[in-house]
Amino acid sequence: MEEKKKTTVDIDEALYRPIYETGKGFYITVGVLLMIILFAAFMYIRQVYYGLGVTGMNQPVTWGFYIVNFVFFIGISHAGTLISAILRLSKAEWRRPITRMAEVITAIVLAIGGLHPIIDLGRPDRVLNIFTAGRLQSPLLWDVTSITAYFTASTVYLYLPMIPDIAKLRDRGGKLRWFYDFLSWGWQGTEHQKKVLNRAINILMVMVIPIAVSVHTVISYIFSMTLQPGWHSTIFGPYFVVGAIFSGIAALLIVMIAFRKFFHLENYLKLIHFRYLSTLLLIMSLLWFYFTFSEYLTGIFGAEPHEMDVILYKMTGPYAIFFWGMVICNFIIPVIVLSFKKFKTIKGILFASITVVIGMWLERLNIVIPSLANPRLELSTGMYFPSLTEWSLFIGALAVFVLGYVLFSKFFPIISIWEIEEGREESIKEVEERVKSYLPGPAGTTE
Amino acid sequence: MPKWAMVIDLDKCTGCGDCMAACKVENNVAIVSPEQAEENRVMFWMDMMTIYEGEYPNIKVTRIPKPCYHCDNPPCIKVCPVHATYINPEGLVGQIYHRCIGCRYCMAACPYTAKVFNWYEPEWADEFKTCMNPDVSLRMKGVVEKCSFCAHRLQHVKEDADAEDRPINDGEYMPACAESCPADAIFFGDLENKESKVYKLSRSPRAFKELEDLGTEPKVIYLSKRE
Amino acid sequence: MEIKRRDFLKLLGSATGAVAVGTYGCHEIIDVPERLIELAKKGPGIETWKNTICGQCPAGCGIKIRLIDGIPVYLKGNPNYPVNRGGMCPSGHSALEVLFNPDRVKEPVKRIGLPGSGKWEKVGWEEALKIISGKLKELRNAGKTNQVAFINGSAQPGLMDKHISQFMKAFGSPNYFKLPSISNKTVPYKLMQGLDQIPSYDLLNTKYILSFGSNFLEEGYSPVYYTKIYSHLRELTGGGRAKLIQIDARMSLTAANADLWVPVKPGTYGALALGIAYVLIREELYDKEFVNKYSFGFNDWVDKKGMTHLGFKSNVISNYYPEQVSKITGVPAETILQIARDLGNNKPAVVLGDEGVVDNTNGTFSQMAVYSLNALLGNFEKDGGVYFVDDPPLADLPEVNEDEIAAKGNRQTPVAKSTDTDYPLTDFSIDAFTNNVLNDKPYPISVLFLYKGNPLFQSINHRDFSEALKKIPLVVSFDPFVTETSEYADLILPDHTFLEKWDEFYNTPSVGFAHVGIQQPIIDPLYNTKNTADVILELSNLIGQSVATALPFESYEKEIRFSTEKLYSSGEGAIITEGVKSSWLEYLQQRGWQIGRYNSFEEFWELLVKQGGWWNPIRTKKDYKDIFKTPSGKFEFYSQYFERVINKLIEKIGGESPENREKVLHSLNIMARGDKVFLPHHEPVPIDESMPLYLVTYKLLTNRDGQASNQPLMQEMFGYTVHEHWNTWAEINPETAQEYKIENDQFVWVESAIGSIKVRARLNPGIMKEVVAVPFGLGHTSYGRYAKGYGVNPYSILKSKYDMINGNQALQATKVKISSAT
Ligand SMILES: Nc1nc2c(c(=O)[nH]1)N[C@H]1C(S)=C(S)[C@@H](COP(=O)(O)OP(=O)(O)OC[C@H]3O[C@@H](n4cnc5c(=O)[nH]c(N)nc54)[C@H](O)[C@@H]3O)O[C@H]1N2
Ligand SMILES: Nc1nc2c(c(=O)[nH]1)N[C@H]1C(S)=C(S)[C@@H](COP(=O)(O)OP(=O)(O)OC[C@H]3O[C@@H](n4cnc5c(=O)[nH]c(N)nc54)[C@H](O)[C@@H]3O)O[C@H]1N2
Ligand code: SF4
Ligand code: SF4
Ligand code: SF4
Ligand code: SF4
Ligand code: SF4
Ligand SMILES: [Mo]
Repeated sequence: MEEKKKTTVDIDEALYRPIYETGKGFYITVGVLLMIILFAAFMYIRQVYYGLGVTGMNQPVTWGFYIVNFVFFIGISHAGTLISAILRLSKAEWRRPITRMAEVITAIVLAIGGLHPIIDLGRPDRVLNIFTAGRLQSPLLWDVTSITAYFTASTVYLYLPMIPDIAKLRDRGGKLRWFYDFLSWGWQGTEHQKKVLNRAINILMVMVIPIAVSVHTVISYIFSMTLQPGWHSTIFGPYFVVGAIFSGIAALLIVMIAFRKFFHLENYLKLIHFRYLSTLLLIMSLLWFYFTFSEYLTGIFGAEPHEMDVILYKMTGPYAIFFWGMVICNFIIPVIVLSFKKFKTIKGILFASITVVIGMWLERLNIVIPSLANPRLELSTGMYFPSLTEWSLFIGALAVFVLGYVLFSKFFPIISIWEIEEGREESIKEVEERVKSYLPGPAGTTE
Repeated sequence: MPKWAMVIDLDKCTGCGDCMAACKVENNVAIVSPEQAEENRVMFWMDMMTIYEGEYPNIKVTRIPKPCYHCDNPPCIKVCPVHATYINPEGLVGQIYHRCIGCRYCMAACPYTAKVFNWYEPEWADEFKTCMNPDVSLRMKGVVEKCSFCAHRLQHVKEDADAEDRPINDGEYMPACAESCPADAIFFGDLENKESKVYKLSRSPRAFKELEDLGTEPKVIYLSKRE
Repeated sequence: MEIKRRDFLKLLGSATGAVAVGTYGCHEIIDVPERLIELAKKGPGIETWKNTICGQCPAGCGIKIRLIDGIPVYLKGNPNYPVNRGGMCPSGHSALEVLFNPDRVKEPVKRIGLPGSGKWEKVGWEEALKIISGKLKELRNAGKTNQVAFINGSAQPGLMDKHISQFMKAFGSPNYFKLPSISNKTVPYKLMQGLDQIPSYDLLNTKYILSFGSNFLEEGYSPVYYTKIYSHLRELTGGGRAKLIQIDARMSLTAANADLWVPVKPGTYGALALGIAYVLIREELYDKEFVNKYSFGFNDWVDKKGMTHLGFKSNVISNYYPEQVSKITGVPAETILQIARDLGNNKPAVVLGDEGVVDNTNGTFSQMAVYSLNALLGNFEKDGGVYFVDDPPLADLPEVNEDEIAAKGNRQTPVAKSTDTDYPLTDFSIDAFTNNVLNDKPYPISVLFLYKGNPLFQSINHRDFSEALKKIPLVVSFDPFVTETSEYADLILPDHTFLEKWDEFYNTPSVGFAHVGIQQPIIDPLYNTKNTADVILELSNLIGQSVATALPFESYEKEIRFSTEKLYSSGEGAIITEGVKSSWLEYLQQRGWQIGRYNSFEEFWELLVKQGGWWNPIRTKKDYKDIFKTPSGKFEFYSQYFERVINKLIEKIGGESPENREKVLHSLNIMARGDKVFLPHHEPVPIDESMPLYLVTYKLLTNRDGQASNQPLMQEMFGYTVHEHWNTWAEINPETAQEYKIENDQFVWVESAIGSIKVRARLNPGIMKEVVAVPFGLGHTSYGRYAKGYGVNPYSILKSKYDMINGNQALQATKVKISSAT
């Protein structure tokens, strides 16, 4: 036991190193991020004090960056839990080094995204009215419910698989022993504990998938439950979910590439991981295009005048740049980069992922603003320019994300060590057996 | 139960805008600063739409006053998370300012762009605060508001009718805009009452409703010879 | 005061009204005035209603003010008042913003800095009146009473006009002027019909309305009155429905509501009218009987000396055939033909044209041309035609017993009357006034009173007018606000706002029946202000002598009572009451109508004040001899009166000679020669050919003459039709815009020879391609926090041009160019 542990520690020391070594870079990063966040917090307090007038929203564009970012961040959140759950469920062995990274994204981004509707409220002081006077018929309430459920499930889902690693950290001793002791929940790695943990993870991963799907479906309902042109669409549910997974994978890829570089994890995050994930990204890109195409084609074919107003506004009006930008970022670039081996390098993948994240943000923008800016009746077209407050809160949100990630990786291994170990120790054999079990047996034998 | 409705005769309306002004004064609707107005944050419970049609010089202009349509099937109330906008049994769609959390979902959901939002705390010069209509509560920053069909007036009318133990007469409950229209283009009354003027006008061949196919069933009915 | 039953119920605590204030506790969210909170705590307020007359514009609508515990909180039209029948316009609805305006002058002030410096110091009423009466007495003692001038900006006929006039006459000055151009605009009626009044039109009984730019739904003398009538006309369907044809350079509110909009080049509508006359004559669609029997100068005629003169007919036939007119006006010949035929075949048909369109250098002749169409149709005293309303039987003020000094003063030439040949037909031209004051012609002006007007903002030659103001040693403004003009005043003696004061108005121009409106205070004065009428009474007492005896009234209120006594004793008409409500149209037709019964004058007076007014819808048709006060006793196509005026001017400069005649005509800017001068004809407007576009200014319903700019509601609503708030804009045809590469909503420079203004461009298909239209009203440089600095004043770039005959400012005679300003 003793011996074995030592060897593994040695093998995976790279994963522990960031926790014990704190460079100047870390403090600078945290400092800068905190400053950005403080500024954003100040801008928000200012907004609460003066009212939403400090934003660029107006009539008829009553929703702006906050709602766009809400949808966007929640979308990104699908990176984690959903992807990791699917991979776990499908027993994809290559998942081992990436699940945690993905789950962390979910937890942080969900928290950020979930706050956005509150940031967007004209009367945040009355947010509790949602509980005291809540109306379950409102899609907004469905959101509150499903996001809360998703957040709870995904944090638990993040936390549970961390317990064995936390225990390892505890056992290593050091300054924060009490902290790890507390969080490790008395993990000793007994067979019973392992069994229980695996059970719990398995149950959660099955649960989390429908919740995750529901979250983004419900977010799409915010729009599709209204009668507004550009919003009132039945495919919005799957469309949003696909978009969410799409942007989630891209975000995950970016995070992976970043950590691979900064933490020197080339040994863990191998080309194969990127190859698999980017193939998935390519598939999602095609799927996204399929949905987008269907959405607009039906709109254009129906040519309902108000629907057409919005579509034309997007394609040829002031939003054309954002619309076509979206198409380029979400479809053209990823498809080109990811279909050719030549471009499918880490750099290429990073580039494609970044464009997809931007593209998906543009998509959210394209959904929210143009429909509002084009009232159905004969009123003038709306205009929306986000204000400094909105930009600050957007950048602040991004800073919270980076900070959250940086801090997480400061305290916990970013790659699940025990799962890697498990992989090394058990899965090769297990996979062999499993694969065998898929294959046809001798003729005539049935089970 | 009465069902209150408004009929606006576009063939009579000249587009003078008095309904807009009357409404603002009656309902203590805030006047935003010029800079705010520039940013499209003016608040008119009764707005004015202008449509130009035709080729020069045969231009036709139609001006359409636009209050809240008090839809019988209002998309706006369906989405409110806190019951801050509601429809009452008499068909009036109201706002509860003290409950509204300011999510503006109802604004996004209203197909008629009938609602406005208090982007900042409404402000008046001290002198102007003296002459507020005491029947209508003042709004605060961060809440949505819109035409109420002057519901406070209904309250008064009901008291009168109750005190005299009689039903409300046709034309007794008149919103500010209808009352002051110099063209007598706005009619108001009970659609359930077959004797009422609005009932009769609502059956006119000139009658139409905005975006009728949406199924929102507006209770503001327009009359117009041209479509 | 009527207290409704409900109010008692409220007192019993069963009401919801103010309870709402209590329970929803709006004071927690927003600072509700202490007073209101107190009231709310005490329980629901007592609701009362008072009737008065809206003072926001000269239209004089009757309004009802709702008071809660004596504080006005809302107002609506008085449903019984015959002018507006419960209707109102947006500006009327912002009346409370006048009363409670934070920028009111709260007590008399004296200017301590330079003019325009905005530095004022308090001066008590007593001291202020002492300064003024001292100066007035001094002038009287020196026999220079004519050096006092009084400008009244109110266009509304009423007792105040008589009151000031009485004061000035008793004091001994001929220099009482009314700024509004009504006196200028009646000149054509004087020339052709011999009357100094704005006519009324029987639109209710007409089938076809041809309006030459008379924007009666938006700008007319009483937009609410016309809106009521017009909407009633539109309600009638089928054959009885009147058609409205609107001729204007831009799609005004009236044009937007018309059946046909006919765009016409600015300054050419006289030609258009004569083009229509051509068709009427050629196709014999005119009323031959009327023209033959009751008109003068239609056919060529021979005078006493045996000279043959050109008649209207020959002039029209030879000069105004449709193709020619089309060239001048830009209206297609077919349209001219069509309109003329419709006009001739749809009788009764009426022609309107006495408002804005006369605001050009050729206004008088153009308006004559338009009016001659009514004569061709024989429209006088006919159902569906044109008529003049009688004055109501109000008591005149006592005859003034001028003393020696006053008589001498009154004989002097008025200072606003040109000393040269210009403006022969008016006593007031702002241009003549300015020039004369600047040059001490014929004598200097020592004291100027300004009442209800802001001529500095309103006149096109700002600079000279302000110089003139600076030159006058004592300028007293009675304005409740510091206006551009009052910036130059030495003293401001603030008047009450109209909701705090007594006044009496009658016969709003162009309204079709005699009526009297009583303005009563609906609230005690908020500040230390005084009704200017009472100030004048005080001044006349301070001056004493015959001035005091000319106005033997304790207060202006008493004076109003006095004037209405005759209304009571005459037995004519009736106080407006509920009974009139049913249908006023039937009412008008109902001739056997009984007047109300009042047992005493006191009873009459009380009811009059309570109801808000009196009217007499019955008018017996007059004989032609009573309505044609011309030299010929007929309607004059050829104005002999004008001929006499010209001859007199020729006399003035040395007697008849071709040179002198030439000189006179030249100074009046008349290009026509010979008999044509006295006939309706088209005078080309001297425009700046180097500039490509006409500048047309107009007024919006939300801002009467620029005076509503200090009311935030009206500022917000200023351009409600185009969603433009607190700001001026320029309407441009999309094709013109394309030509100049201008996009909707971008800023442009509008530049004339005088200067330029920067405004936002609004593309609008409802405007002629060669026209830029800019609404008037904003661009104040003073007038309080809500007015100052918002928008631009298009008049600041208007050329200083006038109709040299009637003195009207030529507001549509400036050409401009536009360029992108971004
Ligand atoms: N809203 C409003 N109403 C008012 C007032 C006000 O200030 N505001 N003032 C009141 C007073 S005091 C008066 S005296 C009256 C004045 O009322 P008007 O004299 O009617 O007012 P203006 O603004 O001079 O009218 C100009 C109109 O004539 C058109 N027009 C200008 N030039 C020409 C032309 O050459 N040919 C043709 N065909 N049309 C032309 C313009 O487009 C515009 O619509 O209005 C009264 N009513
Ligand atoms: N360039 C140009 N000049 C014009 C015209 C034009 O169209 N263009 N129109 C001309 C015409 S038709 C007219 S009628 C005139 C209008 O010119 P003005 O008569 O000057 O019109 P307003 O700007 O309405 O002036 C109203 C002033 O009276 C004050 N006032 C209001 N109520 C009261 C009161 O009860 N007592 C006193 N003492 N003051 C009061 C207001 O504060 C405001 O300052 O302008 C003329 N001049
Ligand atoms: S007040 Fe009457 S006429 Fe004027 S815009 Fe409103 S509905 Fe039309
Ligand atoms: S018009 Fe809009 S705000 Fe009014 S009831 Fe209908 S949906 Fe609601
Ligand atoms: S803004 Fe207020 S009324 Fe509208 S949906 Fe949100 S909480 Fe309800
Ligand atoms: S009904 Fe009342 S609240 Fe609605 S627009 Fe008319 S005046 Fe305003
Ligand atoms: S037209 Fe408007 S401003 Fe003029 S008197 Fe009537 S209500 Fe008042
Ligand atoms: Mo005027």
